Amino acid sequence: MKRTVFSILFCIIHSVSAQREYTISGYVKELSSGEALFGVNVLIDGTLGTTTNEYGFYSISLSGGPHTVVVSYLGFQTISEEITLDSDRRVNFDLREESNALDEVVVTSSSKSNDVRSVEMSVATLKTGIIKKLPPAIGEVDVLKSIQLLPGVSSVSEGSSGFNVRGGSSDQNLVLLDDATIFNASHLLGFFSVFNADAVKDIKLYKGGIPATFGGRLSSVLDIKQKEGNLKEFGGELGIGLISSRALIEGPLAKGDQDEGRGSYLLAGRRSYIDLFAPLLEDLEDTQLYFYDINLKVNYNLNDNNRLFLSGYFGQDKFAVENIFGNTYGNSSATLRWTSVLSDKLFLQASGIFSDYNYEVDVLTSGTEFQWESSIVNYNFKPRLSWFISSGNTLKTGVDFTYYEFNPGEISPLNNSNTTPQEFQEKFALETAPYIDFEQKISEKLSLQYGLRLSFFQRIGEELIPVYENGEPLTYNPTLDLFEENAVLSETPFGSGDVIESFTNLEPRASARFLWNETSSLKASYNRNYQYLHLISNSASATPLDIWAPSGPFLEPQFSDQYALGYFKTLKDNAFDFSVEAYYKDFRDITDFVDGADLLFEEAIETQVVQGDGRAYGMEFQLNKNSGKLTGWLSYTLSRTERQILGINNNEYYPANNDQTHEVSLVGIYKLNDRWEFGANFVYGSGRPVTFPTGKFEQEGLIVADFDNRNGNRLPAFHRLDLSATLNPKKGGNGTWIFSIANAYNRQNAATIFFRERTQEINDVDIPLGTTEASKFSFLGIVPSVTYQFKF
Amino acid sequence: METIKRTFKRNILALGCILVFACETDVTDDIDLASSPPKLVIQGGLERNVTSPLPQQQIRLTTTNDFLSDEPNPAVTEALVSITDGTTVWIMDHQGNGIYSNSDLSPQIDVTYTMTIVWDGETYQGSDTLNEVPPFDRFFTEFEEGTIFSPEGYFLKFDTTDPANIENYYYYRAFRNGEFVIVPDPGNAQILIASDEFSDGQQIIGADINGEVPFQVGERATGQQLGISEEYFNYLFQLFTQTGNTGINFGGNPPPATIRSNIINLDTPSRRAVGFFYTADVEEDTLTITE
Repeated sequence: MKRTVFSILFCIIHSVSAQREYTISGYVKELSSGEALFGVNVLIDGTLGTTTNEYGFYSISLSGGPHTVVVSYLGFQTISEEITLDSDRRVNFDLREESNALDEVVVTSSSKSNDVRSVEMSVATLKTGIIKKLPPAIGEVDVLKSIQLLPGVSSVSEGSSGFNVRGGSSDQNLVLLDDATIFNASHLLGFFSVFNADAVKDIKLYKGGIPATFGGRLSSVLDIKQKEGNLKEFGGELGIGLISSRALIEGPLAKGDQDEGRGSYLLAGRRSYIDLFAPLLEDLEDTQLYFYDINLKVNYNLNDNNRLFLSGYFGQDKFAVENIFGNTYGNSSATLRWTSVLSDKLFLQASGIFSDYNYEVDVLTSGTEFQWESSIVNYNFKPRLSWFISSGNTLKTGVDFTYYEFNPGEISPLNNSNTTPQEFQEKFALETAPYIDFEQKISEKLSLQYGLRLSFFQRIGEELIPVYENGEPLTYNPTLDLFEENAVLSETPFGSGDVIESFTNLEPRASARFLWNETSSLKASYNRNYQYLHLISNSASATPLDIWAPSGPFLEPQFSDQYALGYFKTLKDNAFDFSVEAYYKDFRDITDFVDGADLLFEEAIETQVVQGDGRAYGMEFQLNKNSGKLTGWLSYTLSRTERQILGINNNEYYPANNDQTHEVSLVGIYKLNDRWEFGANFVYGSGRPVTFPTGKFEQEGLIVADFDNRNGNRLPAFHRLDLSATLNPKKGGNGTWIFSIANAYNRQNAATIFFRERTQEINDVDIPLGTTEASKFSFLGIVPSVTYQFKF
Repeated sequence: METIKRTFKRNILALGCILVFACETDVTDDIDLASSPPKLVIQGGLERNVTSPLPQQQIRLTTTNDFLSDEPNPAVTEALVSITDGTTVWIMDHQGNGIYSNSDLSPQIDVTYTMTIVWDGETYQGSDTLNEVPPFDRFFTEFEEGTIFSPEGYFLKFDTTDPANIENYYYYRAFRNGEFVIVPDPGNAQILIASDEFSDGQQIIGADINGEVPFQVGERATGQQLGISEEYFNYLFQLFTQTGNTGINFGGNPPPATIRSNIINLDTPSRRAVGFFYTADVEEDTLTITE
């Protein structure tokens, strides 16, 4: 296998180097701010092409002589330049944002998922420009809410920033903020995400065709890049809304008399203040409920070829009721990255990353005051080398090292209460994943991208591992159709650094693009992904009380195979584009709960979960309108997601919690004139599967529900309309007003429907009445809001 | 640990309630539930009560019906029910309304009783072992002021000493003027049942019989401490978790599922019975609330 790969590589390299070629390379930046631009098309003589990488760098090899270089990026003015090559050259481009005053036709970059020429498929990129024009969900523009408007991406419930990609559960998304893994992307229990749209430059979502450079999660990669800050001049922005306010400053570093600084910085912060309204409600007088976060990015050019980046995020949520309860949780991350242009064809990047997610609960009920703390810390080192061999042929190779420290829980008494301190064992793991990814142009029509990732995961000590009777924590009893917990016979001690269990797996990835003609292409992809961390949480949404369990002696790694096929078409000179994709995904060893599981403060997680299989398949349609006064998209997804797990649903396939048959999104942005812009989005989704009772009986004076099938019923369909209007400043002004109405027709979408015995309150006590009722919980009705933004 | 869990779950609920403030709608009339064929329901078990001995041992058999039906569960009147300790067999005679009883059976400590039911052409069987319960060391009331989590009134309290070196499981019942009182409260799974996992051999002081049930002056209050089996403890845990569920899943409640009975259908295992046939030793005390 290895030998074949190398001989193929050798052939390619050999054939490439046989020609007389020169390399043209450089950076593409935004003219006004000096910010690097990612994904810019660089087209040579109308045929050869490449795109810039995350750092705005491109490199392409050409025969000597004159060439026309066209640099284009949606929303920016295209540059066309004649260049004569007689040696390797470094050429940088500065793109000017398309000014509306100069151009009658307004171009808005929409979700650029339908790139006909690119080998990538099942990918969506969104720039903050467009995210900010969409109607805000609850008075706050949200990055994660906007990706839920893309086909194949759905939300777990209305007020949730957890999302599902092609049938994957919400823990199967690798969420990266400047390369740092974010374990919980929600603020205020999911009503907001941790990403501040002001500080985000662009986001890229891989739903499939995930290249070998990413790993660790089954279903998607959400790659979020923070802005770098203005290299040219100092500036800032203030936003004041009903729910939160934000501020941002940016500017050059070591500028001197130059046009551009040698570096730049950006600092952004947000703070919500819903709790300011709490005293209005008598019951909530002593309630605290807020979040804040801070984003920082600094970059510095050591010289023309070497740059350093430092980026950081710190965010926290606080919910507290005086003398009763307190809950604090948050993420912090720091990334230090070095990029170096080693030669015109070699680009090196290396990142050192620290990321921490922690939560803390203070229970302040008098007499039993205690604090519960839990955290996941991980350290990463990710070196990567990109080799731009020739036009259309790029090789990327690198290794991802990750060291994890899980602190599942620690209880300590507060205020000298008599609570016994307790600590669950910490867990440690080491993940090493070397990879190689190759993009190869076979002919004008056929391009391939293929790669291999080798993931090597080790659970290491120090830890005491229980030895269960029968060798496993649970045994299935077919007569009773349930799992029985096995007794712990003894415990095996593992010393610090000792390997408890290790897993080695190969993850092949491949995509192909066949260019049918100039405006249409066919694409296919396959990828296998392994995931060594399991989020054990029943709630369909990501709650702050997440329990992440690493694979080990009693928990197998989960893996998936995804096959996707797509057709991509542009119409009317790129004014429209259309795509349709079909996928089939096979899951193995995904976790679900044994019937009657209880997870709260449970150290032996393995006794509460079982592993089984799943499958997901579907079709996604998307039509984008990219230019004109009205831009936007219409998307439709038809899909099915099922699971089959021993002991659940009579061992038959059942719909997964995130199964959604139909999903429609309609997104429109209308620019009336230079001052007024309007946005609207409408979403419709079939009801989620839920388990409703099939019978009732009485026991110990209470009415008990009986159930036959897991997820055998559906919630009512979900739909809502959000509207917004933006009043841009007059010429020379710098204040913007944003008015919005979320859930415009006040639809009470069901978050859950539950069943219970009716009760009647007699002398402060809820007495059961012996009759039953069904009750619907819905989150928010219509929410109007207004935000004022000020630039300086 | 149980106290911690209890307080924690309640607080999580409070948090959920605040967030979904006033967004609850009764949809009883809009929901169509699928119905499944009726299942046999077992209610009750054998109780050894030295304080106030039972004149007879009884269980009740019914069948399940549609969840949203206002009809009571139909009584099973034509079953053949017997209980054995391995040597003697006691026939439980039908007394009407699904109640089957026997006045000769007097349950003994450490004995395993097996119940056999023949109904609708099929045989069901299950057993439980009677575990001894320690006595109350003290039985008293305390007045507590109301908080946002609990009502105001006089609460039944007790001290007891857990027997060392044996696993014990407890269930607590409160009676007002002789009537069993229970509230479908989320805390039930933590307060009405207990294990001695973290308190083996220790004296438990000032525990609540049922912290959700306050008494008023002049009422006759009875409290029971039942010694139960581990299986029944696990069953009650699931039962109280389900009946206390308020529908909000912030605390990570398990997905709803049938609570498994200890009664197995010997002929068609997939046609299951629900409910539990338990055996318990009962410690009981009664007092009248005074100021």
